[in-house]
Amino acid sequence: MDAVLAAFGLVFDPSVMLVILGAAVFGMFVGAMPGLTATMATALLVPVTFFMDPVPSLGAIVTATAMAIFAGDIPAAMLRMPGTPASAAYADESFLMARKGQLDLNLGVNVVFSALGGIVGVVFLVLCAPALAELALNFSSFEYFWLACLGLTCAVFIGTGNPLKGFVALLIGLSVTCIGIDPAAGVPRFTFGNVDLMSGVNFIAVMIGAFAVSELLRGAVALRQEGHVVVPQVGNVFRGVGGVMRRYWLNFIRGSLMGTLIGALPGAGADIAAWVSYAMAKRFSRTPEKFGTGHVEGVVEAGASNNSAVAGAWIPALVFGIPGDSITAIVIGVLYMKGMNPGPTVFTENPQFIYAVFIIFILANIIMVPLGWVAIKSMKQVLRIPRTLLLPLILLFCIVGAFAMTNSSYGILLMLIFGVLGWFMEENGIPVAPMILGLVLGEMLEQNFMTSMIKSDGAWLPFFERPIAGALGIMTLLVWLLMLGRGARAAWRRPAEA
Amino acid sequence: MRVNDAVLGLVLLLLASAMIWLTTYFPAFPGQDYGPALFPRLLATGLIVCALLLMLRGLAARRQGEPWAALASWWSRPGQVVSFLVMPLAVVAYLLFAETLGFIPLAFALLLALFLWFGERPLRALPVAAAATLLMYWFFGEMMRVPLPRGLLNDIL
Repeated sequence: MDAVLAAFGLVFDPSVMLVILGAAVFGMFVGAMPGLTATMATALLVPVTFFMDPVPSLGAIVTATAMAIFAGDIPAAMLRMPGTPASAAYADESFLMARKGQLDLNLGVNVVFSALGGIVGVVFLVLCAPALAELALNFSSFEYFWLACLGLTCAVFIGTGNPLKGFVALLIGLSVTCIGIDPAAGVPRFTFGNVDLMSGVNFIAVMIGAFAVSELLRGAVALRQEGHVVVPQVGNVFRGVGGVMRRYWLNFIRGSLMGTLIGALPGAGADIAAWVSYAMAKRFSRTPEKFGTGHVEGVVEAGASNNSAVAGAWIPALVFGIPGDSITAIVIGVLYMKGMNPGPTVFTENPQFIYAVFIIFILANIIMVPLGWVAIKSMKQVLRIPRTLLLPLILLFCIVGAFAMTNSSYGILLMLIFGVLGWFMEENGIPVAPMILGLVLGEMLEQNFMTSMIKSDGAWLPFFERPIAGALGIMTLLVWLLMLGRGARAAWRRPAEA
Repeated sequence: MRVNDAVLGLVLLLLASAMIWLTTYFPAFPGQDYGPALFPRLLATGLIVCALLLMLRGLAARRQGEPWAALASWWSRPGQVVSFLVMPLAVVAYLLFAETLGFIPLAFALLLALFLWFGERPLRALPVAAAATLLMYWFFGEMMRVPLPRGLLNDIL
């Protein structure tokens, strides 16, 4: 109980509240701006929060991401341009609603159900995380090894349309973590005698490159093709939302639960949650024929789903140190920087920080409604900010941010390399997210693998002897078999067709 | 820029082979069977398997008529190619000249150049570049104490 009180004290500090408010406005802006994503918002926030205390820095990230995922719905409805990928699933539906004259209702539904969905996700985070942490306290290197394997496999399996290329991305990420001092024996690897490489690859600089710079490269090409946009007028957005709630409460609950679950699965975040929930709403709807004509049902379910996924992703991140999506992958890096190594012990050593995160999550979802209303009303001004100014400004921000991570040009160089690499990978259908997950989990995977190998003296049986390790191991192997089977079947079929 | 999967596979194959070759130089510890080379070798083996599968797939696509490499349509429009290149080039310029020129003059010049290239009016580009540079210097350099290079302004700041 003391920890909860301490957490309240930490959060309701004027400077922390100011940071949270600032982050909320920043998140709304980035989310509402087509082409800037929630992940990018997080990557750009890290250099700013680098010098802050743990609570304001985590609070800033929590608030900014929650806002950005909602704010992406606004341009989706007004201009058919999803502000973040998480709104892409129902951008057409929202836009068609707007064309039918239901723009106000659509935006009201989006903001209210985003906030409610977010709160459902937080409730699950608050309930599940400490219980799972209790369980995880008994884990040994075997359990963590399998958990990391399962998490990484999930990331490839669910997160990508092309598992082979997903694996390539994952292995590249894992290989990059080998650069630097080896965690088990302390031997420098792949450093070529370079002092910078000895310190390893700075993970935040890589993220800024892979998620922000690569986006800027794409944006720069499209810059001169954009025409003038007309933002429609918005009236009272909250009228009629109550009626939608009474009619579609089941969709709301199903969307929030699905979103939390998908968020908690490693590698899949808010964007996949929205796609799955939209498809589910259509599948179980009594009027599936109305989907695609501007029907509110799918918007309710998917809108709640993507916001609950934001909180769901924190469950495995806090408890096991395995990120649920690319945003929490950055969060894990931040936690390490703040000396709060994610894992079950953080719940016993620093419980006040964990409770503070919970409180901020709830706060963020509550202030989403008034701030969202302001964002909707000021959309015209937001979209008037010219991208010709915005892109170079973000680039300079990236440079300074990457520099601040290492206090040397090494960070900027890493950012540039991974920015171009990320752009090239996306162009060729290789997803970036598994690479980042590999980069985050590489050291933990290797450490637990080596510890387990040394403990078992090279035998494979001890990897399955403990009950939880055995179950996780068998699950992982089953998923691998399933993937192999699918791959083989696809390979078998293709020559037959050709 | 889309590259045939076979080319991707070949590049990965070379990289993974180089990785394995480099691990042979890692020190071995007597009595310790599982040394620093084990994990990278496992990863490299995985990469080689993926690379071979990619090559098979790429060659099959090649027989269907896919080119070895294809550039997106905007590569034929010089303006857009420059737009694409100015971003990484600005970063390279920063890397090269930050120490000698210092953050404030270089950031201002880079911002201004980028603004103008993207078609911004000078009347708006000049004040925005100046304000953004100073704001960023104040926030990171003064507030956050990031040692941004001073360069030319070393005596003044």
